[in-house]
Amino acid sequence: MLSAEAVSALSLSVRVAVVATAVNAAVGIPLAWALARHRFWGRGLLDLLVTLPLVLPPTVTGYYLIVLLGRRGWIGGPLYAATGWSVAFTWYAAIVAATIMAMPLMVRTARAAIESVNRDFEKAAFTLGRSEWQAAIEVTLPLARKGLLAGLVLAFARALGEFGATLMLAGNIPGKTQTVPLAIYTAVQTGESSEALGLVLMLTALSALVLIASARLGGRAQ
Amino acid sequence: MLFGPSGSGKTLTLQCLDGLVRPDRGRIVVNGRTLFGADAGVHLPPQARRLGYVFQGYALFPHLTVAANVGFGLKHLGRAERESRVAEVIDRLGLADLAGRYPRELSGGQQQRVALGRALAPDPELILLDEPLSALDAPLRRQLRDDLGAILSDWGKAAVLVTHDLSEAYQLATTVVVYQDGRVIQSAAKSELLWQPASEAVARVMGIRNILRGTVVKATPEAIQFRWRGQLLEAVNSPSRSYLPEPRSPLAFYIRPEYVRLIRKDRSGPDAAHHMNLMNATVTREADAGTVWSLYLRLEEAGTPAQGDYDLEVEVPKLVYEILDIPRDRHWQISIHRGSIQVLPST
Repeated sequence: MLSAEAVSALSLSVRVAVVATAVNAAVGIPLAWALARHRFWGRGLLDLLVTLPLVLPPTVTGYYLIVLLGRRGWIGGPLYAATGWSVAFTWYAAIVAATIMAMPLMVRTARAAIESVNRDFEKAAFTLGRSEWQAAIEVTLPLARKGLLAGLVLAFARALGEFGATLMLAGNIPGKTQTVPLAIYTAVQTGESSEALGLVLMLTALSALVLIASARLGGRAQ
Repeated sequence: MLFGPSGSGKTLTLQCLDGLVRPDRGRIVVNGRTLFGADAGVHLPPQARRLGYVFQGYALFPHLTVAANVGFGLKHLGRAERESRVAEVIDRLGLADLAGRYPRELSGGQQQRVALGRALAPDPELILLDEPLSALDAPLRRQLRDDLGAILSDWGKAAVLVTHDLSEAYQLATTVVVYQDGRVIQSAAKSELLWQPASEAVARVMGIRNILRGTVVKATPEAIQFRWRGQLLEAVNSPSRSYLPEPRSPLAFYIRPEYVRLIRKDRSGPDAAHHMNLMNATVTREADAGTVWSLYLRLEEAGTPAQGDYDLEVEVPKLVYEILDIPRDRHWQISIHRGSIQVLPST
């Protein structure tokens, strides 16, 4: 059986991935819609910022997150001065890292799906009295749902497997910020090969499960 | 009915009407309500215009049932009222059995009805249709055209329809607006358009054959005499809008292929009361067009300037083609009634 540490890593990973996916749905889908359907000031920059974590090494993204959110960071500094609390080295940091790392996959997939929806459907909704928001919610997003679902699956998988940025911002504190990928790394480093194997198998099974479930859902959505 | 070649601005006009596109200038007024006024700074959004729009390819919401599609524009109504309106519209369009189906499960004709139902349900002031029949093949197209005409007249809704098919325009329209290169080149009742195209450009867009050019000899309010290919011809001037070009000025005109008469050789010769604008011509080639034959004639004493590989296209019924034995007899005297030559005013 798995050790208590492994179980806690597994539970943390699932919680982090679920929350990161939820944030991606709440933020990433509107963002994808805005990028797909609107021209606004700073659009190119926003697109670049969202996509960068996809191409940067995760440690680089993690470094930027420390600069931004760390105890002496641009945002983290004033926050720490005011409240004595910092996100760094808490499980919230793992969520932040996983969310940022998963965002490009969510946004790019959702954006492509939204762009592929024929604009005539939206125009039809306008002529039938819908505002742009209403048209997006009632027409565009339902028609893009397969792509949105695919984006969520990718985001979940990415969040579940996040390593580098999490290590930078959240650290590797067993029982607190140690997610499964970090636990696997630690187990291999310390020679606990059966522990590593157990975690590897658990993570593989979990990922496979998510893929199968999403294929089922996608099939039904068709 | 907005008619013109692809890319001539018809759909853009429709989108301006509907508020999907904002024009630079002008005014749009529907039933006394100003929808757009550049001077007054009025630009109602599409949501507030109360116009029904039927898209090319219909754009039915694929994720919604027939009933939900038809009821989509009725969100402002209460649930009970909405349901009764949807039922009424669906019933009137003969879609009652299909209310729970999805668009992909419908035939083309049923989809058209749903699209019309969706646009008509909110009781718009005007219904706009963008090439509603263009994606269909010929037999279905005819059927849906009749269907569309019947529904529009049954509902008594004014409609603006875009098409690049002239026969569609004739079948459905009362007034036809002809577009070319982003401009309106004629706007007229369809009978007037058919018999009095406003210019050579209109005649060309309409696909009229035998559009020819001659030189004016003399123009009076009753008739225009002109020279064409060495022949002196006379056409009736339009009583409603007589056209009086200067002598020696160029003149465009057309002769409908079905109005050229071949003079039978087994009868007594031509008489002045029935036969005018006489010419001698040779059939150079012909084409079987189904129920009629198209003959391509070259004038025998043709003057300059030369034109194309034939001078005149003539259409004769198949039976006439056989009785006159045209495959063997190639030389004919032809006559064209003065009223069958339409002069095209230069603009």
